Amino acid sequence: MPTISSPPKERTPGLGGGGPGKIPSRRGYGGGDDGDRRRPEKFLSYQSRLRRYRIGVALFSVCVSMLFLGIASVYVARQRIPYYDQNTQAFMSTWKAIHLPYIQLWLNSLLIVAGSITLELARRGQIKKAEFASMGILPPSLEREVPWLSITLLLGAGFLAGQLLVWNNLRHQGVYLRANASGAFFYTLTGLHAIHLVGGMAVLVYALLGSWLRRRFESQQIAVDATGWYWHFMGFLWFCIFGLLHFSRA
Amino acid sequence: MEELPSITTTVKPRRLLRRYVFSTDHKVVGLQYFFLSLAAALTGTLLSLLMRIHLIWPNLALPFFGTIKPENYLAYLTMHGTLMVFFVLSLVPQSGFGNYFLPLQLGVSEMSFPKLNAAGFWISLLSFLVLLAAFFVPGGAPGAGWTQYPPLSALAASGPGQALGTDLWLVSIGLFCLAAVTGSINFITTTLKLRAPGMSLMRMPLTCWTWFVTAILSLLAFSVLAAAVLLLLLDRNAGTDFFVPAGLIVSGAAVHHAGGSPLLWQHLFWFFGHPEVYIAILPGMGMTSHLLSVFARKPVFGYRAMVGSVVAIGFLGFLVWGHHMFVSGMNPYAAFAFSTLTTAIAVPSAIKTFNWMATLYGGRIRFTTPLLFSVGFVSLFITGGLTGPLLAQPALDVYLHDTYFVVAHFHLIMAMAGLFAVFAATHFWFPKIFGRMMNERLGILHFWITFVGAYAIFVPMHLLGMAGHPRRYSELTGVQYVAAMAPLQKWITIAAVVTIAGQIIFLVNFFWSMFKGAAAPSNPWECSTLEWTLPSPTPHAGFAGRLPVVNHGPYEYGVTGREADYLMQDAEA
Amino acid sequence: MAVALRLALLLVAAACACLFLAHPVWFPDGVSAQSAAIDHQFAIAFWILGGLFLAAHAVLAVCLMRSRRSGKPRNSYGDWRMEAAWTLAIAALFFGFNVAGVRIWSKMKFQQPESNAIQVEVTGVQFQWYFRYAGPDGVFGHVDAQRFARPQEGNPLGLDPGDSDGKDDIVSTVLVLPVGRDVDLTLRSQDVIHSLFIPAMRFKQDAVPGMSIHAHFRPIKTGAYEISCAELCGIGHYRMRAVAQVVSDEEFKRWLKAREVQK
Repeated sequence: MPTISSPPKERTPGLGGGGPGKIPSRRGYGGGDDGDRRRPEKFLSYQSRLRRYRIGVALFSVCVSMLFLGIASVYVARQRIPYYDQNTQAFMSTWKAIHLPYIQLWLNSLLIVAGSITLELARRGQIKKAEFASMGILPPSLEREVPWLSITLLLGAGFLAGQLLVWNNLRHQGVYLRANASGAFFYTLTGLHAIHLVGGMAVLVYALLGSWLRRRFESQQIAVDATGWYWHFMGFLWFCIFGLLHFSRA
Repeated sequence: MEELPSITTTVKPRRLLRRYVFSTDHKVVGLQYFFLSLAAALTGTLLSLLMRIHLIWPNLALPFFGTIKPENYLAYLTMHGTLMVFFVLSLVPQSGFGNYFLPLQLGVSEMSFPKLNAAGFWISLLSFLVLLAAFFVPGGAPGAGWTQYPPLSALAASGPGQALGTDLWLVSIGLFCLAAVTGSINFITTTLKLRAPGMSLMRMPLTCWTWFVTAILSLLAFSVLAAAVLLLLLDRNAGTDFFVPAGLIVSGAAVHHAGGSPLLWQHLFWFFGHPEVYIAILPGMGMTSHLLSVFARKPVFGYRAMVGSVVAIGFLGFLVWGHHMFVSGMNPYAAFAFSTLTTAIAVPSAIKTFNWMATLYGGRIRFTTPLLFSVGFVSLFITGGLTGPLLAQPALDVYLHDTYFVVAHFHLIMAMAGLFAVFAATHFWFPKIFGRMMNERLGILHFWITFVGAYAIFVPMHLLGMAGHPRRYSELTGVQYVAAMAPLQKWITIAAVVTIAGQIIFLVNFFWSMFKGAAAPSNPWECSTLEWTLPSPTPHAGFAGRLPVVNHGPYEYGVTGREADYLMQDAEA
Repeated sequence: MAVALRLALLLVAAACACLFLAHPVWFPDGVSAQSAAIDHQFAIAFWILGGLFLAAHAVLAVCLMRSRRSGKPRNSYGDWRMEAAWTLAIAALFFGFNVAGVRIWSKMKFQQPESNAIQVEVTGVQFQWYFRYAGPDGVFGHVDAQRFARPQEGNPLGLDPGDSDGKDDIVSTVLVLPVGRDVDLTLRSQDVIHSLFIPAMRFKQDAVPGMSIHAHFRPIKTGAYEISCAELCGIGHYRMRAVAQVVSDEEFKRWLKAREVQK
C-alpha cells in the first residue's frame, strides 16, 4: 500500500530542475464549501476550512488596500498639481482646505476600535464553543454569556451614524462632493470605507441569525472569525484614512 | 492512491438548473467562463472585421450595419478592445481553463470557495451584458478607446457615445473588477491551501504556477482599476474634478470643472493596464511550457528558472506602467526609470523563450495540433516581444507612440500569441472535458491558416507605424500621408478577412467534435499530470473520495526502463 | 509535418525580413536636428532585433528536429551554466541598447532650446490645430477660452480683447518656421487630450488640457511637412491635420510682417 512516509527518490534539485521541495504535512480534504448540509464533519476539515477563509479575508483585505491606495495616491498627487491661473498669470493651488471635525472623528475612531475589541471577544468565545461542537457535544449555554456580537453590531452602527454626523458637519461648512477637491476626496474615502464596513456587518448579521437560519455552527464561527480579522483591518484602514486626511489637509 | 474519506458530495445535483447553470462545480464554472469568452470573442472579431472593411471601403453600406460613420468606427474600436482584453484574454486562459484544471492538476476535488467562484462567473456575465447594452442606448457605445482617457471620456459633450454609453462601460468594468477579484481570491487560496498530499509547490505543473501568479496580479491590478473607474464615474455624474481640469470649452460650451488632471487617470489606468497584459499572457506561457514538455517527451528545461521568471515578470510588471506615458507630459526623469525597468522585463521573457527552445531540443517530438499551436505561440511571442525593447526607449517611442507600430506589437504578442495558447489548450484539454478528440486534420488546417494569417496581418502593420500612421483613425482620407498608405491597409484587411474566415474551421471542429468526435481514452496524450488520471470526460466527482498522492514532479518524460516513457505524478515512488 | 513546420518558420521569418528590407512604406526623410540620431538608433534597433528575430526562428527550427534517441537526453532538466550565459548575454544586449538611447532622450528633454528660439504656442481644439506667435512685442497675450473664444468671429483661442499684449499675437492654422532655428513649442488644449505629431521632424508631444507643455526641435530643411493628431480626441481625430511650413529666415520674417500688417 503506497504511503507518503518515505521521501520519494528524486534527484537533488538543481537550479535547472524541479525538486521535491516541501511536502505539505496536512492533507487538504478535497476543499470546497463542505456546506451546511447537516452532515457530521471531521475536525480536520473544519480547521482547514477556517484557515482558507482567513486567507480569503486576508487577500480581500489586500484588494481593498489597493483600492484605497489608488485613491490615496490620486489624492496626494492632485494636491500638488498647480493650476495656471489666467487672471493672475501665476501658478496657484485650487486646494481648499477643509476643517475636519476632530471630536466627532475621534469619537468614531473610538467606536470602531471598541467594535474591534468586542468582536475579538466574540471570536474567541466562539472558538471555545467550536471546540465543543467539533467533539460532537452541543456547546454549553453559559449563563451570563455576553452577546459580544450584538454589541459589535451596535458599535458599528454607531460608527456609521457618527460618519453621517461628520458628513453633516462638512455640509454645513459648504463642502460637497462637487466643486471642492478636498471635499471630493473626503467623501469618497470615508464613503467607501463605510460601504466596506457595512459589508462586514452584513456578514456579522448572517452569523448572528445563523442558528435561526439553520446554518451549521461552524459556518457561523468561521463567519465571525473572518469578519473579526476583516474588522481589525477596517479599523487599521480607518486610521490610515484619518491620518491621510489630517496630514495632507493643507 | 490512498483511500481517504470523502467529505464533499459525490452525487451530481439532480435538477438540470443546479447541475449545469447555477452550479458551484469548478468544472461547470470553468466551462461557463469559456463559453462567455467565446461569445465575447465572436463579437469582438466581428467588430474588428467591420473596422477593417470600413477602412478600405469607407462608403460601403453593409447589411444590417449600414454605412459606418466615424462615431460607429470609434465605438467598434473601443468595444473591440474592451471585449478582447477583458472578456477574452483575461477570462479564458485564467478563469476558463484555470477554474477547470487548477483543482484537477493539484489533485483536489474543488476550489476553495465554490459559491464565490460561481458568483464570480455570474458577475462577469452581468458585466458582459451591461457592456453590450451600451450599443443600444441613445448615443451608442463609447468611442474613447478601451483606455478611456479623460477629458474625452469624462465629458459627455465631447462626442457621441460619451454619455450613457460611457457610464455603462464604466459600470461594466467595475463589475468585472469585482468578478476578477473573487476569482483571484479563489485561485490563490486554492493553490496555497488545497493541494493533494505530496504536491509541493515545486511539483506543481507550470500551468498552476502561472495561474497562481496571474491571480496575484489580478488581485492587485483590478483593485486599482476599480478605484480609477469609481473616480471617473464620480467625475461624470457627481460633479467632482479628479481628472478634468479647469477652463475647458467643448463644442462651444464651457465646462464647469476645476483643477483635475488627466494624467492621474493615465497613471491609475496603466498601473492596472500593464499588469493586465501580463495577466493575459502568463497563463498562455504556462500552457506552452506544459505542452512543449508533453509533446517533446522531455522535462521542462529549467523548471526553477521558469518559475523564477514567471514570478519576476509578474513583479516587474507592476513597475513599468510609465512606458505608456512617455509623451504624455509626465516628468521626463521618470521616463528613465520606466525605460530601464521595461528593458529588465525582457530578461525573464528571454529566459522563458530560450527554455522553451531547449525543452524542444533533442526531444522525440510528436507533431500534434496542440504542439503546432504551442510552437506558434513561441514564434509569435518572439516576433511581438522583440519590438518591446524598441518601444521601451523613450527616444524611439516618441515617434512610434500611438501609431500602428504599437498596434502591431500588442496584437502579435498579446492577441495572437495568447490566442494560440488558447487554441493549443483547447485541443489539448478537449478530450478531458468532453470525452472526445478534436479532429486533427481540421486542427492542422486551422493552425496553418491562422499562423500565416497572423504574420500576414500584423507584420506589415509595423511598417505603417514606422511611416507615421497614427492609430484610431476612422478614415484614411483625413491626413494626406496616411491616405498614401491605403494599399498596405488593403493588404492587411484582405489578410484579416481570410484569417477570420479560417476561424470558422475551429468553430466547426469544436462544436462538431463535441458531439461526433472520436471517443477519447483517459490519457490520449500520455501526459503525466494529475487530471489525466481521471476518466474522460471528467466525472462530476473529480477527485472526491479518491485523493491522489503525488510522488513525482510534473514533467517526468523520457523515462527509460518502463513500458511507457513517462511517469504519472501519482505513480509509485 | 515536422519538416513543414520548420520550413514554415524559416520562410515566414525570411518573408518578414524581406518585407522590412523592401519596405513599401518607410519613415519619411528626417528633417530636424534630432532626426539623424533617432534614425540611427532605429537602424541599430532594427539590425539587432531583426538579427535576433531571424536567429531565434532558425534556432527554433533546429530545435524542432525530431530526435530518434530513446530515453532522456543529458541535461534535460536544465543546465544552469547555459541559463546564466544566455541570461547575461540578453541582459547585456538589451541594456546596452537602452543606454545608447538615453543620450538622445536627454538631448530632447533636458537641453534647453537656444535663446533665439521661435516661441510658438500650439493649441489643440476638436478638431483643429492653432499656432500662435507672439508678434513684435514678443509677449503672448492673455487667453481665456471659456470667456472669449469665438471661433466664428476669428478668435478661436479666446484672446482677451482687453489685454494689449495680445493685440499683436498672430494666430495661424499653419505652423510656419524658419529653417535652422530652434522652435520652442508650448502645447495646450482647449478640450481633450490631443497630440502634435510631425513625423518628418520625429516630433510628438501630447497636448493635455490644464497643462502647458514645452517641447522643442530644430528644422534643418525647408519644405512642407504634414502634422497629424496622435491621441484619440473624438470623431474628427482622423482629420485633425495641419502643415509645418519650413521656410528660409527671410521668408519667415516676410510672412510675420504680412500677418502683422493684416491685424
